[in-house]
Amino acid sequence: MPVRIITTHLEFEGRVSEQRVVMEGDEPPVWGEDAELRIVGKPTPRVDGRERVTGGATYTYDIQLPGQLTAAALRSPHAHARVTRVDASRAEAMPGVRAVLHRFNAGDLIDPNRDRSVFAEELPYAGAIVALVLADTREQAADACAAVMVEYETLPFVVDPEAALQPEAPRVLSDRPHNKLNDEYPQTYQRGDVDAGIREAEVTVEARFETPAAMHNSMETHGATAQWDGRTLTIYSSTQDIFGVRRAVAKALGLHQNQVRAIKQYMGGGFGSKFGPHESGLLAAYAAHRLGRPVQYMLSREDENVAAGHRSATIQHFRLGAQRDGTLTAIEQRTVGNLGALAGWFPATAMATKELYQCANVRTIDEGARTNLGPFAAFRAPGVVEGIAAMETAVDQLAAALGMDPLELRLKNYAERHQDMQRPYARKLLREAYEIGAERIGWATRDAEARRYPKGRDGTLRRGVGMASQLWGGDGGPPAQAQAKLLPDGTAVIITGTQDIGTGTRTVLAQIAAEELGLPLEAVRVELGDTEFGLYSPPSGGSMTLASMGPAVRMAAAEARKDALEIVGHLVEAPADALDIRDGGIVNRETGREMGTLGSYLEQLDGHEVTAKGMRGPNAENVTVRTFGAQFAEVEVDLGTGQVRVRRIVAVHDCGRIVNPLTFSSQIEGGIIQGLGFALMEQRVVDQRFGTVMNANLEQFHIPTIRDVPEIDIVLLDRPNTYANTLGALGAGEPPIIPTPGAIANAVAHAIGRPVSGLPLTPDRILDLLK
Amino acid sequence: MQPFDHVSATSAAAAVELLQQGGPSGARVIAGGTDLISLMRDRIQSPRLLVNILPAAAALRYLRFEADGALRVGALATLADIERDPHIAARLPILTQAVRDAATPQLRAMATAAGNLMQRPRCWYYRGEFPCWLKGGDECFARDGENKYHAIFGASPCVAVHPSDLAPVLVALDAELTIAGPGGSARTLPVERFFAPPTDDERIEYRLQPGEVVSEIRVPAQPAGARGAYVKVMDRQAWAFALVSVAAQLSERDGVVERARLALGGVANVPWRVAAVEDLLTGQRLTPALAAQAAERALENAHPLTHNGYKVPMARAAIRRALLAAAGQEE
Ligand SMILES: Cc1cc2nc3c(=O)[nH]c(=O)nc-3n(C[C@H](O)[C@H](O)[C@H](O)COP(=O)(O)OP(=O)(O)OC[C@H]3O[C@@H](n4cnc5c(N)ncnc54)[C@H](O)[C@@H]3O)c2cc1C
Ligand code: SF4
Repeated sequence: MPVRIITTHLEFEGRVSEQRVVMEGDEPPVWGEDAELRIVGKPTPRVDGRERVTGGATYTYDIQLPGQLTAAALRSPHAHARVTRVDASRAEAMPGVRAVLHRFNAGDLIDPNRDRSVFAEELPYAGAIVALVLADTREQAADACAAVMVEYETLPFVVDPEAALQPEAPRVLSDRPHNKLNDEYPQTYQRGDVDAGIREAEVTVEARFETPAAMHNSMETHGATAQWDGRTLTIYSSTQDIFGVRRAVAKALGLHQNQVRAIKQYMGGGFGSKFGPHESGLLAAYAAHRLGRPVQYMLSREDENVAAGHRSATIQHFRLGAQRDGTLTAIEQRTVGNLGALAGWFPATAMATKELYQCANVRTIDEGARTNLGPFAAFRAPGVVEGIAAMETAVDQLAAALGMDPLELRLKNYAERHQDMQRPYARKLLREAYEIGAERIGWATRDAEARRYPKGRDGTLRRGVGMASQLWGGDGGPPAQAQAKLLPDGTAVIITGTQDIGTGTRTVLAQIAAEELGLPLEAVRVELGDTEFGLYSPPSGGSMTLASMGPAVRMAAAEARKDALEIVGHLVEAPADALDIRDGGIVNRETGREMGTLGSYLEQLDGHEVTAKGMRGPNAENVTVRTFGAQFAEVEVDLGTGQVRVRRIVAVHDCGRIVNPLTFSSQIEGGIIQGLGFALMEQRVVDQRFGTVMNANLEQFHIPTIRDVPEIDIVLLDRPNTYANTLGALGAGEPPIIPTPGAIANAVAHAIGRPVSGLPLTPDRILDLLK
Repeated sequence: MQPFDHVSATSAAAAVELLQQGGPSGARVIAGGTDLISLMRDRIQSPRLLVNILPAAAALRYLRFEADGALRVGALATLADIERDPHIAARLPILTQAVRDAATPQLRAMATAAGNLMQRPRCWYYRGEFPCWLKGGDECFARDGENKYHAIFGASPCVAVHPSDLAPVLVALDAELTIAGPGGSARTLPVERFFAPPTDDERIEYRLQPGEVVSEIRVPAQPAGARGAYVKVMDRQAWAFALVSVAAQLSERDGVVERARLALGGVANVPWRVAAVEDLLTGQRLTPALAAQAAERALENAHPLTHNGYKVPMARAAIRRALLAAAGQEE
């Protein structure tokens, strides 16, 4: 097979990068609109549903190895301190305790992703790790933590992002000259002349909008179980990226990558916070390597909430200018991001500002502030959720100022092309999404409906309907590899190095393979989540997994099918292209004659397995592939108590071909519920005097319960996007959370008749707005 | 968690005896354990001896209406028992309402009625690693700190609120506790008096002598035609402590209020009875205007902290609603 190297472009969460792809062979042609598919596109229950609901699935916590030690951490109570002394003698003498690791005996453990000692001398936030106790049981480890004596030198700190950017502010990290993310901040994007645009505007709107720090709260906390056998370090990691874990752990321990095996079979959620091994995985690996015993270190819920990331808080200022007819003349967004102490990048809060509306004059200013708080991490469309919520509420305020229907204002400024990159979109179904959503929510009668209120016992209930738009990538890209094997019994195994983080990857890959191979779904097994297979697959994030892995699996299956038919052709003395595999049987294409099962032929080959490779090909050039969509929300607001109840959400998203309507819908539902939590209740509370998080638990950090979940009306557009990849499918992981908070906020503003100032829309905020 | 001994008691009297063996502060009753265990795990309380009274269920887990209409609730009756009891639903629906939105189904299955009254505050400084006044320290960190969920009434150095849903309802129903003490003694005490704001000497929200065990909660027969309503305001639809709650119990004759009880939750260290409003209502017809006036009056002396001013209008709305609902004027 000739090998070629192709250069292509990849967009991940708003950032475009160049990527070299190795191709062996060719991808099969795209499944277009008229492709006749038997399994792809059909509602298919998860292939591992049974394990998941019966407790048979092994999550990271469930890995229990003989002789395994359990770890618990002692963390800094100070917002900013230096650790000057650790006395672990009392803890070490406690029952079951095997070791206590800290700065003065394990300072050599470097986190390669942060380029910093895990047990650093400078502790830049309350919750930074000081010591790790390894004991026979979790309780023993936790008890011993309390017996570790630590001396701290406390340092001045700052937790407010705007204060942190003042020149006289205390330094968040003492070796840095300022608290800006880095020397490139503030970062400005500019097109046209915003000030001129504001001057020529007939109507302008200025709005300040704040969004909270929100926790991922994955059901499975961060952590890992690690084992060192003298040659290989095996790590069962709660991760979205087993190859990233392999790389980082190898580097931290001074091993070769092939000496580290990373495994992730079942996942209890990651949402962007689990792209590497996390410090917990590094610690488990380090301790196992050093002590020669298996080690499990899973974060407690409290530690998860201070030390494992969150959606970073923002303060956004929008200025919009428009002519009387609604034509936008200027968009300006200034964002101060509260990034915590150990940030490495700035979330894409400006992505939609640059693109969503047609406007010649746009300026976005990103100010990244380090503060003495825990690190943030990518969280399901990081930045874009916050940016869209702020912008879409500002657009509604502009509509109010213009006396214009908010949807009409959006259509007036509809962007047909990618204005920043000056090229077309492969496809943009946003107009359709607006139309369908408006129809289903009853947009035309929303004011009349609202007037039928007040309702309720003492007449304080108000109703509102609002909407917001969604834009995101999700077309995936290389590199992504897969292997297909046809076994002697005629069943298939698909091997990839991806991981199923709970989205249904295993199921959709099985569907794609079964479709291409001509086998029934039950005859396909998907192996994933193990670096030992050596098949590089990308991290599961950025809504990329299906769009990257699916085509690789499809190509591998297509190649295997070709080879199998070649073999059968030889055995029956017929040309391979006269034969086909249908539902596991060999069929003569012309006559339709059934010639027995595929297995009956492969069985004759002394255990030979047909093996074929597939890889994700390059992305389309000179065109931008995006998912677009919109959500519409109906809410009730109780003016007496300030309570908001979301009654209904209509979701219309174009994610290309829908491979599995069931897993697609669960992504949409999950995204909406998570977005509703962000809109209504989720909020990290920090005591500014001490810099401590007050609600690092599930009791006081409220996430939606099932009773908070509204009626969710999902519209399946299901149209293949033939520019995207050979499936025509785009990711659906992030799109559904993007517009939810903005749609709810606009619905609340509609209900109470005044703009909202930020999220979450808790009763106290509503009552404040009503004052 | 500190190591501790664990013994079982099969009656209130046995529990009293075992408690005495543990010494004045070192022993504690454990019932459902839903609060005590987490306090111990977080090292806020570290008793050396736990006296488990769940084995006394045969004697202490019951719900019984007396011939005169009084309800007797055994100390070990769970919130789920109360929630599911059809007689309570029919005769004292305010009690059903109180437990229906408390905690979660799992917790209600374990949480006992007596334990519910003796649960400690949810103040995050108290539950966290702050040596605050209530834990014996010098300072209340909430007073000038993150006090969104804190008190708007009361004069204790502690501004935490009482988290119980049951407590304000029992106060509104004039309920009494039966308390077993050393040497087979027993005393009764109105629930309202059982609660007292923490003071420098007694940094706790209720008053129980060492070695005492609550054995029963007795809800006296309510006047004929009495009706009540409990309104709980939460920041999500389930599994949340009350931001503000209101228990209103009214008896009316010929459309005129004869007797009124109004107790608020989530606003003070203890269930907050508002006698001034009870007086205002008595002898009047309950109209929406009167309910609004009562709500104004009830909040007259509120003194919110930096972040909880919203509780004032919220409590007003909840009071209006509870009074109108109790008077059967719900829409
Ligand atoms: C997540 C969560 C949410 C919750 N939400 C709510 C809510 O919305 N509304 C609400 O009202 N409550 C709520 N609770 C509190 C819960 O209802 C109480 O924890 C429970 O009722 C306590 O009862 P228990 O039997 O478990 O008490 P335990 O935890 O066993 O004991 C609590 C205290 O009472 C003492 N005690 C118990 N029984 C006796 C007795 N008979 N005599 C003397 N002392 C005794 C114990 O010594 C201990 O000090 C919640 C709790 C949790 C954990
Ligand atoms: S309110 Fe009470 S419990 Fe909370 S910090 Fe103050 S004293 Fe402690």
